[in-house]
Amino acid sequence: MFFLKELEKTIQLHPSYFGPLIRSHIHRELLTKEEGSSTGKFTIVCILDSFEISDGQVIPGSGYAEYIVHYKAIVWRPYKGEVLDGVVTSVIRSGFFVDCGSLQAFVGQGMIPGDIKFDANATPPQWTDNADQVIEKGTNIRIKIKGLRSEVDKMYAIGTMKEDYLGPLQQ
Amino acid sequence: MKIRSPQGLHYPITVVELSKKADDEVRRSSPLFTYYYESTVTEGNKYGEEKEVRKKFPARFDSSADGKIVQWFIKNGALIQHPGVDIVEIEEPCTHEVQFGSLCADCGKDMTEVDYLTEERNVDRATINMTHDNIRLLVSQKEAVRAEEDAKRRLLGAQKLSLIVDLDQTVIHTTCERTIAEWQADPDNPNYEAVKDVRSFQLADDNIANVAANWYYVKMRPGLKEFFDRISTMYEMHVYTMATRAYAQAVAKIIDPDRKYFGDRILSRDENYTDKLKTLHRLFPTNTDMVVIIDDRADIWHYSDNLVRVPVFNFFPGAGDINASFLPKQQELITSTKSELQPAKEKPVEEGDTAKVFSVAGKPTETMPTETANGTLTDLEQQLISMGSGDNPDVLEQQVKEQEKVIISQQTERPLLQKQLLLDQADEAAEQEELANETENGETQTTEHHKQRHSLLHDDDRGLHYIEDCLIRVHRTFYDEYQRRKTGPQGGRVAELRGEKSPKKRLDDFVPDIKVLMPRMKREVLNGCTIVFSGIIPLGLDVQYSDFALWVKSFGAQVSLNVNKHITHVIGNPDRKTTKVKKAARYPHIKIVNAKWMFQCCTKWQRVDEAPYIIEIDAAERGSSFEDLEDDDIAVTGDEDGENGPDLAEDIQLDMSDEKWRSMGDEFQDFMDESEDTEDGSNSDSDSVRSDTSTKSDSKRNRKKRKRTTGSTDGSEAEDSDASVNSTSRLQRRKKRVLERVTSLTNVVSADKSSGLPSPETTGPEEGHGDEDRKKDVGRLGADDSEEDDGLEAELLAEFERSASEGDA
Repeated sequence: MFFLKELEKTIQLHPSYFGPLIRSHIHRELLTKEEGSSTGKFTIVCILDSFEISDGQVIPGSGYAEYIVHYKAIVWRPYKGEVLDGVVTSVIRSGFFVDCGSLQAFVGQGMIPGDIKFDANATPPQWTDNADQVIEKGTNIRIKIKGLRSEVDKMYAIGTMKEDYLGPLQQ
Repeated sequence: MKIRSPQGLHYPITVVELSKKADDEVRRSSPLFTYYYESTVTEGNKYGEEKEVRKKFPARFDSSADGKIVQWFIKNGALIQHPGVDIVEIEEPCTHEVQFGSLCADCGKDMTEVDYLTEERNVDRATINMTHDNIRLLVSQKEAVRAEEDAKRRLLGAQKLSLIVDLDQTVIHTTCERTIAEWQADPDNPNYEAVKDVRSFQLADDNIANVAANWYYVKMRPGLKEFFDRISTMYEMHVYTMATRAYAQAVAKIIDPDRKYFGDRILSRDENYTDKLKTLHRLFPTNTDMVVIIDDRADIWHYSDNLVRVPVFNFFPGAGDINASFLPKQQELITSTKSELQPAKEKPVEEGDTAKVFSVAGKPTETMPTETANGTLTDLEQQLISMGSGDNPDVLEQQVKEQEKVIISQQTERPLLQKQLLLDQADEAAEQEELANETENGETQTTEHHKQRHSLLHDDDRGLHYIEDCLIRVHRTFYDEYQRRKTGPQGGRVAELRGEKSPKKRLDDFVPDIKVLMPRMKREVLNGCTIVFSGIIPLGLDVQYSDFALWVKSFGAQVSLNVNKHITHVIGNPDRKTTKVKKAARYPHIKIVNAKWMFQCCTKWQRVDEAPYIIEIDAAERGSSFEDLEDDDIAVTGDEDGENGPDLAEDIQLDMSDEKWRSMGDEFQDFMDESEDTEDGSNSDSDSVRSDTSTKSDSKRNRKKRKRTTGSTDGSEAEDSDASVNSTSRLQRRKKRVLERVTSLTNVVSADKSSGLPSPETTGPEEGHGDEDRKKDVGRLGADDSEEDDGLEAELLAEFERSASEGDA
């Protein structure tokens, strides 16, 4: 789910940037470092333009200046039970991996409907019910999150396909 | 899951009442039964008196798992005396066999949770990774076995085997040198034919040394596509490389554009946990019976029995393996096949390098004999290895830097271009042509001229043909054996009818083991050969465990340390006529061949005719070293006479390595030349030395003589008074002459000393070698080719005898 969230970031700036363009340097630093990063709880999707920069403070001993930036950003946080669309990245015997944006999910054998079977002899290997449902690398797929765990900068999810309206999307 | 009485209760405990019956559902942390225990407590009453009272305390026992109760092992009123008693069996709805990122793939629960009931963490239930491209997906042992059983049945059904394919220098060769692109763009270049099918790619996230947009140039081994086409009908192929994931995928796109050979079965360094070695158990955790590996390096596989070692594909000379900086250093062959292209000065560097590296990173070769190497590597061991070096950030950083250095040097120094320039220069000199075009640069030369120009790159590698033959043979042997076993014994059917064996087990019985089949096939190749290496393996290495020795041993040959009549082949260095070679020349049945013969045998898996590889020993060579041989003769005959006599004599013999013999011979010759004495005189002189030893063993005589050498090197021992008259000039001349003949003498002088002087350590600083490892190896240098222990033993013995004979004198 997407949220608009107020965030705070401490940015250290090298003295060579001190000058009239200092604000744009800070802005660029913020964008390159923060956009797309994941905190383990959510992913920062997009930083909004309006942001406040505190007065800089030179750090004793290094000459770097420290700025505290308050900004708003659109963040994305997956929840257990949420239905997501993703792209299949890898197909193996015990299931397949799906990338839903920054979240990597795994759909195991037990989470795939019984009529969809693994076909190891196909090239490339695929999960298929020998009809219109074919899951191979690159397939767009809709899954529901069954379990979620976050580490410091990464999230892992277990997805399921065993409910109505889940599975490969018709292209 | 069985729940047993845990640690940390007040045993003995008495069960009061079971809260659940069999077949009841139970939730985690809900009570299973109530019990009481007795304990002594101190009670005080209102008068301040204290007394010890035994009291009963009621308590309840919580379930540590969800599920359905299958069976109780205890009854109401039962007394549990100690931990570890079976209490109840609970059937869990999910046993968490497959876990992704510590989440159960079947129920989605977090496996890392730990609470007061946790006996064994759920994450420990699934610890095996058998996925190629993901390190977060782990399965349990049970699941791994099931998966492999499936795979095995599928492969047997399709009449296939698994084949693990290494990339760098096995099926492709990569360089980063821009020169290739220039040559590709220039049809007039002599290398154009060779490089026109070279493919190139860039890696997006390549930030090596901030060199933006690094191009990789990939040359496929000639005939690769046909090779894959044919082999993929017999083998299911996997890529297993020590390169990064991005690189591996980029290369896979080149060698397998339709993804029909490998699919997603690509395993790279990023998923390998350790960058020091490759192990089959990473992909085939429980069963490696049907796996064949092709790789150009055996050491990183611990000389696995599944390995088909292939000749190195070295298309861009000098480029090496750009991903090898993460691996333990490889032992290089001193007589490179392209030696004419390589500057001569490279040799000692290589020698020094390998000697040094082998004591640091050469763990596999030192500790792992071939027989025990396979299948014994536990996860723990792997971890230890990776802890030892791989995970160390400093080392890792160093390795990354090393790789950067290699790539940068390829980009900036452009060794290929330099070499081509050298070649061109040589051509020009040879042709004596005046060129209108002054630039020697390869790109700007005229078309007529390039016909005569030699090209640096040769597109003539035939390695894949040999590999293919081997693989086809292995496949045929495997399935012949399988069919034979399947149709052969009728007992299996009878047993089945009796219900003795389950069908699953029988499948296992039928499937032959590659680890047995392939070594058996290989051993037939050089069976009966006894091989001596001479001038091939750098000094200071343990010959028996050196790369080449292990290699030929895996083909059934025996490796010996010195030449005697049982030897069948001496593998020598054509550039250096070592004493061993000369010695061997006197036995007509010994074939003296160069290392190419060994490579041919080991790559073709057949004993090739030695004739093209024989090293010619001309009569003049023999004549000039007549004196040496004289000396040797005594030793050799002594050696053979004393054959029933133990190894000791032999080992001391070893101690007197080639160079020592040579220097001794030289000294002797000098002595003869310079002293105006007659033959008799010199004889009497040497007689006088030998007289007291004549009754003693040969080994002792050798020792005696050697001591003379040592003495004269020092120029100090009184025994050599006659020699010391002209010692300086003679010494210089001798040194000069010896240097002319042997390239590695610099190593050897110190070796002489070290074994002649009481303690090897003291000679360390004299050596002038900076590095530590070298010093450590001094003792072994003295022992030259002998095994370390034996060398030491021999040294001690020799020392003992020396002092004894000195006492005599």
